[in-house]
Amino acid sequence: MKAPSFARNCPRGKWNCRLHRATRWRMKSAPDFSSALSQPPAPQSKRRVAVTAMGVVSPLGCGAEETLAALRAGRDCVTAVTDFDVSRFRSKTAGRLDEGKLEARAAKLPRSARLHPASRMMIAATCEALAGDPGFRPELMIIGTTSGGMSNGQAFFRAQVEHRRPRERAVWLANYNPQKPVLDAQVAGGFSAPMQIIANACASGTNAIGHAFALVRAGKHERVLCGGYDAVSELVFAGFDSLQASTPDRIRPFDRNRTGLVLGEGAAIFTLEAWESAVKRGAPILGEVTGYGISTDNHHLTQPHPSGIGPRQAMERALASARRRPEEVDYINAHGTATAFNDATEGAAIAALFGSRTPVSSTKSMMGHALGAAGAIETAFSFLALRGQFLPPNINHQETDPAWPLDIVANEAREARVRCVVSNSFGFGGTNASVVLEKSDEH
Amino acid sequence: MSARIAGTGWVTPLGSDLRAVWQRIRNGERAEPKPLANPESGRIHHYLPVPPKLVEHLARNPRLRRSSAISYFAVAAALAALEEAGLEMTPALAARTAVVFAVSDGGVIYTRKFYEQLVKQSTASPLLFPETVYNAPASHLAAQIGIDGASYTLVGDNSVGLAALKLGEQLLETDEADYAIVVGCEEIDWVLCEAYRDWRLAGGLSGGHLHSLPPRGAMLAEAGAAVVLGRAGRFELHAHEGVAWTRRCDAAAALAEAVRETADAGIDLIIGCANGTFIDAAEAFALRDALKNEPPAIFPKAALGEAPGASALLQVIAATLALAEHDRHRALVPVLGFNQQASAALVSRAD
Repeated sequence: MKAPSFARNCPRGKWNCRLHRATRWRMKSAPDFSSALSQPPAPQSKRRVAVTAMGVVSPLGCGAEETLAALRAGRDCVTAVTDFDVSRFRSKTAGRLDEGKLEARAAKLPRSARLHPASRMMIAATCEALAGDPGFRPELMIIGTTSGGMSNGQAFFRAQVEHRRPRERAVWLANYNPQKPVLDAQVAGGFSAPMQIIANACASGTNAIGHAFALVRAGKHERVLCGGYDAVSELVFAGFDSLQASTPDRIRPFDRNRTGLVLGEGAAIFTLEAWESAVKRGAPILGEVTGYGISTDNHHLTQPHPSGIGPRQAMERALASARRRPEEVDYINAHGTATAFNDATEGAAIAALFGSRTPVSSTKSMMGHALGAAGAIETAFSFLALRGQFLPPNINHQETDPAWPLDIVANEAREARVRCVVSNSFGFGGTNASVVLEKSDEH
Repeated sequence: MSARIAGTGWVTPLGSDLRAVWQRIRNGERAEPKPLANPESGRIHHYLPVPPKLVEHLARNPRLRRSSAISYFAVAAALAALEEAGLEMTPALAARTAVVFAVSDGGVIYTRKFYEQLVKQSTASPLLFPETVYNAPASHLAAQIGIDGASYTLVGDNSVGLAALKLGEQLLETDEADYAIVVGCEEIDWVLCEAYRDWRLAGGLSGGHLHSLPPRGAMLAEAGAAVVLGRAGRFELHAHEGVAWTRRCDAAAALAEAVRETADAGIDLIIGCANGTFIDAAEAFALRDALKNEPPAIFPKAALGEAPGASALLQVIAATLALAEHDRHRALVPVLGFNQQASAALVSRAD
């Protein structure tokens, strides 16, 4: 098999390769990011996309009302991890869900005791969303996740190492796959729909919402159920610890003294529908998704390019898709993991694109990083900010990193007029995604 | 608008040359199973490996040198598909090209190694963890060909390849891309063999014998498969979105529904998904139920084994090769997953 010329030339002399030369030029020369070259054209059809209901479970609360109260209060919901041994890890804490609160929803299902916590989260969030709009009949379900029922895989492997063949292994295997919580949610919600499960690392949730938005906007679907879920597992906990990305301290996004992330978990689900269709059937309307941008940063598998080109392209593309200018954005819910690399690149990209005029916060400061669910949960927080007309706080904040002049919503929620929000998610593999969310006046 | 198949490529246990592998499948050859021992219990499994020589030329690539086999399969298959499509990636073209990666079990070798280190040594190498993430192969592939726009990784059962083709089709329809490189891959590790054996989906050395009663289980395999979707090409593709099912007794009906909604008549050929498990009988039932005629069927998994992330794409590639070879115009690709959804695709000659 003969590889194409660009591939043959790449491995050792990558700057001799036409492709990489072009990439380098784009990175090095303070580029015009809005050039037609890197900008996908807007979709042909321009239907409005309404969000008619949502469900959210996170360390901040089970359900939108509990979550809203915790967001306004700036509650720190990071707690000690007790369900596996963390003594050898730097971080000992995570944002955990109250399992007991999820039991009630899952109890309706046969064999509910066997369900993985991720299934219980999906069930709770899906049932809340469908209860908010009982007339919603999903044609498609697009869900983001990173690890599915990973703790079951761990249990299976441990049993192998310990030479055990416990009866539970059938349950572990059946509940390990990332599609299982989605199927469980369908059964609990009383519907069946084809599914796409996006695993774009920490951008997965935002990618799921963005792709659902693109399909409804282009007229390919009328109603799509979308969102994301993830549960904390030992393997992922150890993974971030091995990369020295997790912190023994509190999580302090965009802070000069930031030392890393803590993990979180949860799920959020949204009912997206073509505006005309939602209005016609008298559905409630929480707001609109108006833009979506995706980019891939090829710099490194786990480290973003220092210029911030990836996040900036994602935000620019989302704004172009929404036909909004940066000055029209009232709040940015940042990815803000509090790691040195993420905050440096995201901070630089936000500062370059928005300056210091747009308030920014990372709600991960309150609950940790929920990985594949983060984008969906933060989209839910953004809709709550639009509904409540306030800016959720970036807690644990001491001193903004002087590298970028950002208006951080430090420590306390801020009352504000909020019409348009950008929510960011960036992940391993260089996946970057942003969505633009807006309040709608008509409803 | 239907998407067109502009190019295809694969790396399989039988080789990587499209037509040579197809000929071996048609001749009824089977790849040679290789034993793989569980070092903890000594239990021996068998699987169909991709010969290392097919991907070793990629080992000098700085981005791939620490990655797992699955990334090698992804890059090798995608480069072959791009070459067949005659696409030379310029920055302008790369900006309008998307990567869609399908995976079922992911980087299972590194995941097992990472967790093994953690369990046995209490610490694990930071080099391993990033490669355990589902989208690591897609990231390496995007870096290799310079794509800075849309990149999606889809995870699911062995129907995920068709879900990825559907997503690629959608990216073209919504004008987010002019081309979508849809890639599906699978690598095999002993822990994966243990899991599929315990799940009663994989057989031992006797696995992979199709349509036997009772089913003996699938023969797990490694593979990479890539399909370049565009607006021009020799074959038209219409992929179904899928029909979800939760109980095995509903699987055949779900597949029949997907087949019926894809095409119920005028099918010249079926590239089936039978793999030696319960799927064989369910597929046979669904096809009898949904189709008005009984076109000839070819089952590539008899030769190539079951590579869950790649197998649906392997079927689609086999469909294009079968259509190119004979005076046939429309091939149906039914796909029934292990535990998620049923789907189908119609591959037609564009002429």
